[in-house]
Amino acid sequence: MNRVPNSLIDDLAGDLAPVKPIRLTHGIALVALSAVATVVLVELLDGLWHGIVSGQASGVFFIANGMLGMVGAAAALAVLRMASPRVGNTHDGARWSSAMLALLPLTALLMLGAGGLVSALSHDAYGLDCFLAGAAFGLVTATTLVLWLRRGAPVSLNAAGTYTGIAAGAIGSFAYGLACPIDTIDHLGMWHIAPVGLMALVGRFAIPPLVRW
Amino acid sequence: MIADEATMAQMMAASQKGDRAIYRALLSEVQLWLERYFRKRVAPAQLDDLVQEVMMAVHTKRATWDPTRAFYPWLAAIARYRWIDHLRKVYRSAEDELGDHDAPEDSEEEAVMARMSLERLFVHLPDKQAEVIELVKIEGLTISEASAKTGQSESLVKVNIHRGLKKLSALVEKAE
Repeated sequence: MNRVPNSLIDDLAGDLAPVKPIRLTHGIALVALSAVATVVLVELLDGLWHGIVSGQASGVFFIANGMLGMVGAAAALAVLRMASPRVGNTHDGARWSSAMLALLPLTALLMLGAGGLVSALSHDAYGLDCFLAGAAFGLVTATTLVLWLRRGAPVSLNAAGTYTGIAAGAIGSFAYGLACPIDTIDHLGMWHIAPVGLMALVGRFAIPPLVRW
Repeated sequence: MIADEATMAQMMAASQKGDRAIYRALLSEVQLWLERYFRKRVAPAQLDDLVQEVMMAVHTKRATWDPTRAFYPWLAAIARYRWIDHLRKVYRSAEDELGDHDAPEDSEEEAVMARMSLERLFVHLPDKQAEVIELVKIEGLTISEASAKTGQSESLVKVNIHRGLKKLSALVEKAE
Protein backbone atom coordinates (compact mmCIF):
# COMPACT_ATOMS: atom_id res chain seq x y z
CA MET A 1 0.00 0.00 0.00
CA ASN A 2 1.24 3.48 -0.82
CA ARG A 3 2.02 5.62 2.15
CA VAL A 4 1.38 9.28 2.60
CA PRO A 5 4.71 10.98 1.85
CA ASN A 6 6.69 11.52 5.03
CA SER A 7 7.26 15.07 3.86
CA LEU A 8 3.69 15.78 4.91
CA ILE A 9 4.44 14.59 8.42
CA ASP A 10 7.62 16.66 8.42
CA ASP A 11 5.72 19.72 7.21
CA LEU A 12 2.97 19.34 9.78
CA ALA A 13 5.46 18.69 12.58
CA GLY A 14 7.51 21.70 11.46
CA ASP A 15 4.39 23.84 11.58
CA LEU A 16 3.46 22.67 15.07
CA ALA A 17 2.85 25.35 17.64
CA PRO A 18 1.39 24.91 21.11
CA VAL A 19 -2.38 25.22 21.24
CA LYS A 20 -4.81 25.62 24.08
CA PRO A 21 -7.26 22.75 23.88
CA ILE A 22 -10.93 23.62 23.76
CA ARG A 23 -12.45 23.27 27.21
CA LEU A 24 -16.12 22.64 27.66
CA THR A 25 -16.09 24.69 30.86
CA HIS A 26 -14.89 27.75 28.94
CA GLY A 27 -17.75 27.33 26.51
CA ILE A 28 -20.25 26.99 29.34
CA ALA A 29 -18.89 30.15 30.93
CA LEU A 30 -19.19 32.03 27.63
CA VAL A 31 -22.78 30.95 27.10
CA ALA A 32 -23.64 31.85 30.70
CA LEU A 33 -22.09 35.29 30.16
CA SER A 34 -24.07 35.70 26.94
CA ALA A 35 -27.28 34.81 28.74
CA VAL A 36 -26.54 37.31 31.50
CA ALA A 37 -25.65 39.94 28.90
CA THR A 38 -28.97 39.27 27.17
CA VAL A 39 -30.90 39.76 30.40
CA VAL A 40 -28.99 43.00 31.06
CA LEU A 41 -29.80 44.14 27.52
CA VAL A 42 -33.48 43.41 28.11
CA GLU A 43 -33.35 45.41 31.35
CA LEU A 44 -31.71 48.34 29.59
CA LEU A 45 -34.03 48.35 26.58
CA ASP A 46 -37.36 47.27 28.06
CA GLY A 47 -36.98 46.96 31.81
CA LEU A 48 -37.55 43.70 33.67
CA TRP A 49 -40.99 43.05 35.13
CA HIS A 50 -40.90 43.78 38.84
CA GLY A 51 -44.03 41.68 39.38
CA ILE A 52 -41.77 38.63 39.32
CA VAL A 53 -40.32 39.46 42.72
CA SER A 54 -43.44 41.05 44.19
CA GLY A 55 -45.50 37.89 43.88
CA GLN A 56 -47.72 39.00 40.98
CA ALA A 57 -46.49 36.40 38.48
CA SER A 58 -48.55 33.25 37.98
CA GLY A 59 -47.24 29.71 38.26
CA VAL A 60 -47.31 29.24 34.51
CA PHE A 61 -44.97 32.24 34.18
CA PHE A 62 -42.29 30.45 36.16
CA ILE A 63 -42.94 27.11 34.50
CA ALA A 64 -42.80 28.51 30.95
CA ASN A 65 -39.73 30.64 31.50
CA GLY A 66 -38.06 27.91 33.52
CA MET A 67 -38.61 25.46 30.67
CA LEU A 68 -37.22 27.96 28.17
CA GLY A 69 -34.14 28.43 30.30
CA MET A 70 -33.60 24.69 30.68
CA VAL A 71 -34.05 24.03 26.97
CA GLY A 72 -31.64 26.84 26.19
CA ALA A 73 -29.06 25.37 28.54
CA ALA A 74 -29.46 21.81 27.21
CA ALA A 75 -29.29 22.88 23.57
CA ALA A 76 -26.32 25.17 24.20
CA LEU A 77 -24.47 22.36 25.97
CA ALA A 78 -25.10 20.07 22.99
CA VAL A 79 -23.65 22.71 20.65
CA LEU A 80 -20.61 23.25 22.84
CA ARG A 81 -19.95 19.51 22.81
CA MET A 82 -20.30 19.41 19.03
CA ALA A 83 -17.31 21.70 18.66
CA SER A 84 -15.17 18.88 20.00
CA PRO A 85 -16.43 15.92 17.97
CA ARG A 86 -16.32 12.27 18.83
CA VAL A 87 -17.98 9.11 17.66
CA GLY A 88 -20.46 8.31 20.37
CA ASN A 89 -21.61 11.90 20.99
CA THR A 90 -25.35 11.92 21.52
CA HIS A 91 -27.53 14.91 22.10
CA ASP A 92 -30.47 13.21 23.74
CA GLY A 93 -30.78 15.78 26.51
CA ALA A 94 -31.27 18.60 24.03
CA ARG A 95 -33.61 16.52 21.91
CA TRP A 96 -35.89 15.50 24.76
CA SER A 97 -35.96 18.88 26.42
CA SER A 98 -36.81 20.52 23.10
CA ALA A 99 -39.66 18.05 22.68
CA MET A 100 -40.75 18.86 26.21
CA LEU A 101 -41.20 22.50 25.23
CA ALA A 102 -44.04 21.46 22.92
CA LEU A 103 -46.08 20.79 26.07
CA LEU A 104 -46.74 24.52 26.46
CA PRO A 105 -48.48 25.20 23.13
CA LEU A 106 -50.19 21.82 23.47
CA THR A 107 -51.52 22.79 26.88
CA ALA A 108 -52.76 26.10 25.47
CA LEU A 109 -54.51 24.23 22.70
CA LEU A 110 -56.12 21.70 25.03
CA MET A 111 -57.28 24.34 27.50
CA LEU A 112 -58.67 26.84 25.02
CA GLY A 113 -59.57 24.65 22.07
CA ALA A 114 -58.57 25.55 18.52
CA GLY A 115 -61.17 28.32 18.17
CA GLY A 116 -60.42 29.81 21.57
CA LEU A 117 -56.71 29.76 20.93
CA VAL A 118 -57.02 31.49 17.57
CA SER A 119 -59.27 34.09 19.14
CA ALA A 120 -56.86 34.65 22.04
CA LEU A 121 -53.89 34.97 19.70
CA SER A 122 -55.64 37.36 17.34
CA HIS A 123 -56.63 39.61 20.25
CA ASP A 124 -53.16 39.54 21.80
CA ALA A 125 -51.82 43.00 21.02
CA TYR A 126 -48.34 42.23 22.33
CA GLY A 127 -47.88 38.73 20.97
CA LEU A 128 -45.97 39.64 17.83
CA ASP A 129 -43.73 42.01 19.77
CA CYS A 130 -42.79 39.21 22.19
CA PHE A 131 -42.17 36.82 19.33
CA LEU A 132 -39.87 39.20 17.46
CA ALA A 133 -38.10 40.44 20.58
CA GLY A 134 -37.46 36.89 21.83
CA ALA A 135 -35.89 35.95 18.50
CA ALA A 136 -33.88 39.18 18.27
CA PHE A 137 -32.46 38.87 21.80
CA GLY A 138 -31.47 35.31 20.89
CA LEU A 139 -28.90 36.70 18.49
CA VAL A 140 -26.49 37.32 21.37
CA THR A 141 -26.37 33.60 22.21
CA ALA A 142 -26.41 32.64 18.54
CA THR A 143 -23.31 34.76 17.89
CA THR A 144 -21.45 33.21 20.81
CA LEU A 145 -22.27 29.66 19.74
CA VAL A 146 -21.41 30.25 16.08
CA LEU A 147 -18.02 31.67 17.08
CA TRP A 148 -17.45 28.66 19.33
CA LEU A 149 -18.35 26.26 16.52
CA ARG A 150 -16.05 28.06 14.11
CA ARG A 151 -13.22 27.60 16.57
CA GLY A 152 -14.11 23.93 16.90
CA ALA A 153 -14.60 21.08 14.48
CA PRO A 154 -18.31 20.32 14.24
CA VAL A 155 -19.01 17.25 12.13
CA SER A 156 -22.81 17.27 12.39
CA LEU A 157 -23.44 20.60 10.75
CA ASN A 158 -27.21 20.47 10.37
CA ALA A 159 -27.69 19.37 13.95
CA ALA A 160 -25.24 22.02 15.13
CA GLY A 161 -27.21 24.68 13.24
CA THR A 162 -30.57 23.50 14.54
CA TYR A 163 -29.47 23.26 18.17
CA THR A 164 -27.75 26.62 17.97
CA GLY A 165 -31.06 28.06 16.81
CA ILE A 166 -32.97 26.30 19.58
CA ALA A 167 -30.53 27.51 22.23
CA ALA A 168 -30.58 31.06 20.89
CA GLY A 169 -34.37 31.20 20.58
CA ALA A 170 -34.90 29.68 24.03
CA ILE A 171 -32.40 31.91 25.84
CA GLY A 172 -33.57 35.01 23.96
CA SER A 173 -37.20 34.27 24.75
CA PHE A 174 -36.34 33.43 28.35
CA ALA A 175 -34.57 36.78 28.75
CA TYR A 176 -37.35 38.76 27.13
CA GLY A 177 -39.88 36.76 29.13
CA LEU A 178 -38.52 38.41 32.25
CA ALA A 179 -39.76 41.73 30.90
CA CYS A 180 -43.18 40.53 29.82
CA PRO A 181 -46.01 40.79 32.36
CA ILE A 182 -48.50 38.76 30.33
CA ASP A 183 -48.46 35.39 32.04
CA THR A 184 -51.37 33.51 30.49
CA ILE A 185 -50.87 30.08 28.98
CA ASP A 186 -52.01 31.15 25.50
CA HIS A 187 -49.56 34.06 25.37
CA LEU A 188 -46.60 32.21 26.87
CA GLY A 189 -47.37 28.89 25.18
CA MET A 190 -47.53 30.39 21.73
CA TRP A 191 -45.72 33.72 21.41
CA HIS A 192 -42.87 32.91 23.76
CA ILE A 193 -42.27 29.44 22.33
CA ALA A 194 -42.50 30.48 18.69
CA PRO A 195 -39.05 32.17 18.69
CA VAL A 196 -37.51 28.78 19.46
CA GLY A 197 -39.13 27.27 16.37
CA LEU A 198 -38.20 30.22 14.20
CA MET A 199 -34.60 30.30 15.33
CA ALA A 200 -34.27 26.52 14.96
CA LEU A 201 -35.40 26.83 11.37
CA VAL A 202 -33.12 29.77 10.64
CA GLY A 203 -30.21 28.01 12.37
CA ARG A 204 -30.74 24.80 10.42
CA PHE A 205 -30.26 26.59 7.11
CA ALA A 206 -28.12 29.65 7.90
CA ILE A 207 -25.51 28.24 10.28
CA PRO A 208 -24.00 25.20 8.49
CA PRO A 209 -22.32 27.36 5.80
CA LEU A 210 -20.86 29.55 8.56
CA VAL A 211 -19.28 26.69 10.49
CA ARG A 212 -18.29 24.32 7.67
CA TRP A 213 -14.57 23.48 7.70
CA MET B 1 0.67 -2.61 15.56
CA ILE B 2 -1.06 0.67 16.18
CA ALA B 3 -0.63 2.43 19.49
CA ASP B 4 -3.34 2.00 22.09
CA GLU B 5 -5.73 4.66 23.30
CA ALA B 6 -3.77 5.68 26.37
CA THR B 7 -0.53 6.10 24.41
CA MET B 8 -2.24 8.13 21.69
CA ALA B 9 -3.94 10.35 24.26
CA GLN B 10 -0.58 11.00 25.95
CA MET B 11 1.07 11.76 22.63
CA MET B 12 -1.73 14.09 21.59
CA ALA B 13 -1.56 15.95 24.88
CA ALA B 14 2.19 16.44 24.37
CA SER B 15 1.56 17.52 20.78
CA GLN B 16 -0.90 20.16 21.90
CA LYS B 17 1.91 21.53 24.06
CA GLY B 18 4.15 21.76 21.00
CA ASP B 19 6.40 18.68 21.26
CA ARG B 20 7.41 18.13 17.63
CA ALA B 21 9.17 14.77 18.04
CA ILE B 22 6.16 13.24 19.72
CA TYR B 23 3.85 14.87 17.20
CA ARG B 24 5.80 13.24 14.37
CA ALA B 25 5.37 9.86 16.05
CA LEU B 26 1.69 10.56 16.62
CA LEU B 27 1.13 11.45 12.98
CA SER B 28 2.82 8.22 11.86
CA GLU B 29 0.43 6.25 14.05
CA VAL B 30 -2.51 8.30 12.81
CA GLN B 31 -1.48 7.59 9.25
CA LEU B 32 -1.41 3.84 9.85
CA TRP B 33 -4.72 3.93 11.65
CA LEU B 34 -6.38 5.92 8.88
CA GLU B 35 -5.09 3.60 6.18
CA ARG B 36 -6.63 0.69 7.98
CA TYR B 37 -9.80 2.59 8.78
CA PHE B 38 -10.50 3.60 5.18
CA ARG B 39 -9.16 0.47 3.54
CA LYS B 40 -12.40 -1.10 2.43
CA ARG B 41 -14.37 2.08 1.97
CA VAL B 42 -12.20 4.05 -0.40
CA ALA B 43 -10.82 3.20 -3.81
CA PRO B 44 -7.09 2.42 -3.37
CA ALA B 45 -5.99 5.17 -5.75
CA GLN B 46 -7.82 7.73 -3.62
CA LEU B 47 -6.71 6.41 -0.26
CA ASP B 48 -3.57 8.51 0.02
CA ASP B 49 -5.40 11.73 -0.79
CA LEU B 50 -8.03 11.05 1.79
CA VAL B 51 -5.52 10.06 4.48
CA GLN B 52 -3.59 13.22 3.72
CA GLU B 53 -6.72 15.35 3.96
CA VAL B 54 -7.63 13.90 7.33
CA MET B 55 -4.10 14.36 8.64
CA MET B 56 -4.20 18.01 7.68
CA ALA B 57 -7.59 18.33 9.35
CA VAL B 58 -6.15 16.72 12.48
CA HIS B 59 -3.33 19.26 12.40
CA THR B 60 -5.60 22.26 11.85
CA LYS B 61 -8.15 21.18 14.42
CA ARG B 62 -5.79 19.71 17.01
CA ALA B 63 -7.04 22.14 19.65
CA THR B 64 -10.52 20.60 19.43
CA TRP B 65 -9.37 17.39 21.10
CA ASP B 66 -10.26 17.63 24.75
CA PRO B 67 -7.52 15.95 26.83
CA THR B 68 -10.16 14.70 29.24
CA ARG B 69 -11.77 12.59 26.51
CA ALA B 70 -10.62 9.63 24.42
CA PHE B 71 -8.46 10.20 21.34
CA TYR B 72 -9.66 7.59 18.84
CA PRO B 73 -13.36 8.55 18.89
CA TRP B 74 -12.25 12.13 18.12
CA LEU B 75 -10.06 10.95 15.26
CA ALA B 76 -12.83 8.68 13.94
CA ALA B 77 -15.35 11.53 13.92
CA ILE B 78 -12.99 13.69 11.85
CA ALA B 79 -12.21 10.74 9.57
CA ARG B 80 -15.89 10.02 8.98
CA TYR B 81 -16.61 13.70 8.28
CA ARG B 82 -13.86 13.94 5.69
CA TRP B 83 -14.80 10.57 4.20
CA ILE B 84 -18.38 11.69 3.55
CA ASP B 85 -17.04 14.89 1.99
CA HIS B 86 -14.79 12.72 -0.12
CA LEU B 87 -17.70 10.53 -1.26
CA ARG B 88 -19.49 13.64 -2.42
CA LYS B 89 -16.52 14.69 -4.50
CA VAL B 90 -15.25 11.51 -6.08
CA TYR B 91 -15.54 10.91 -9.75
CA ARG B 92 -15.21 7.76 -11.65
CA SER B 93 -11.69 6.57 -12.22
CA ALA B 94 -11.29 3.48 -14.33
CA GLU B 95 -8.41 1.97 -12.43
CA ASP B 96 -10.15 2.27 -9.11
CA GLU B 97 -11.00 -1.32 -8.39
CA LEU B 98 -11.28 -2.33 -4.82
CA GLY B 99 -8.93 -5.14 -4.05
CA ASP B 100 -8.85 -7.31 -1.04
CA HIS B 101 -6.62 -5.38 1.29
CA ASP B 102 -7.89 -6.99 4.43
CA ALA B 103 -5.30 -7.66 7.04
CA PRO B 104 -5.86 -9.38 10.30
CA GLU B 105 -6.95 -7.01 13.04
CA ASP B 106 -4.08 -7.13 15.42
CA SER B 107 -4.81 -5.58 18.77
CA GLU B 108 -7.27 -5.12 21.56
CA GLU B 109 -8.30 -1.91 19.83
CA GLU B 110 -10.20 -4.14 17.42
CA ALA B 111 -13.48 -3.88 19.31
CA VAL B 112 -13.22 -0.10 19.59
CA MET B 113 -12.28 0.13 15.95
CA ALA B 114 -15.22 -2.02 14.91
CA ARG B 115 -17.57 0.15 16.89
CA MET B 116 -16.37 3.29 15.16
CA SER B 117 -15.95 1.75 11.74
CA LEU B 118 -17.43 3.08 8.56
CA GLU B 119 -19.40 -0.13 8.10
CA ARG B 120 -21.38 0.90 11.18
CA LEU B 121 -22.63 3.89 9.25
CA PHE B 122 -23.78 1.82 6.30
CA VAL B 123 -25.88 -0.35 8.61
CA HIS B 124 -28.20 2.62 9.07
CA LEU B 125 -28.83 3.06 5.36
CA PRO B 126 -31.53 1.21 3.43
CA ASP B 127 -29.93 -1.48 1.25
CA LYS B 128 -30.77 0.34 -1.97
CA GLN B 129 -28.98 3.51 -0.84
CA ALA B 130 -25.94 1.69 0.51
CA GLU B 131 -25.67 -0.39 -2.65
CA VAL B 132 -25.60 2.54 -5.09
CA ILE B 133 -23.25 4.59 -2.91
CA GLU B 134 -20.82 1.66 -2.89
CA LEU B 135 -21.10 1.14 -6.64
CA VAL B 136 -20.90 4.76 -7.78
CA LYS B 137 -18.94 6.56 -5.08
CA ILE B 138 -16.54 3.84 -4.02
CA GLU B 139 -16.18 1.42 -6.92
CA GLY B 140 -16.49 4.20 -9.50
CA LEU B 141 -19.29 2.92 -11.70
CA THR B 142 -21.29 5.42 -13.73
CA ILE B 143 -24.91 6.11 -12.87
CA SER B 144 -26.08 4.09 -15.86
CA GLU B 145 -23.83 1.14 -15.00
CA ALA B 146 -25.10 1.18 -11.43
CA SER B 147 -28.64 1.37 -12.76
CA ALA B 148 -28.10 -1.68 -14.97
CA LYS B 149 -26.43 -3.62 -12.18
CA THR B 150 -29.04 -2.89 -9.51
CA GLY B 151 -32.20 -2.67 -11.58
CA GLN B 152 -32.89 0.80 -10.16
CA SER B 153 -33.75 3.51 -12.69
CA GLU B 154 -31.03 6.13 -13.25
CA SER B 155 -33.01 8.82 -11.50
CA LEU B 156 -33.62 6.49 -8.57
CA VAL B 157 -29.88 5.81 -8.35
CA LYS B 158 -29.24 9.56 -8.15
CA VAL B 159 -31.96 10.07 -5.56
CA ASN B 160 -30.70 7.15 -3.46
CA ILE B 161 -27.12 8.46 -3.55
CA HIS B 162 -28.28 11.93 -2.56
CA ARG B 163 -30.48 10.68 0.28
CA GLY B 164 -27.89 8.17 1.44
CA LEU B 165 -25.11 10.74 1.68
CA LYS B 166 -27.42 13.12 3.50
CA LYS B 167 -28.24 10.42 6.00
CA LEU B 168 -24.57 9.51 6.44
CA SER B 169 -23.80 13.15 7.26
CA ALA B 170 -26.30 13.05 10.08
CA LEU B 171 -24.73 9.90 11.49
CA VAL B 172 -21.09 10.96 11.75
CA GLU B 173 -20.98 10.94 15.55
CA LYS B 174 -23.28 7.97 15.95
CA ALA B 175 -21.42 4.87 17.01
CA GLU B 176 -23.86 2.08 16.31
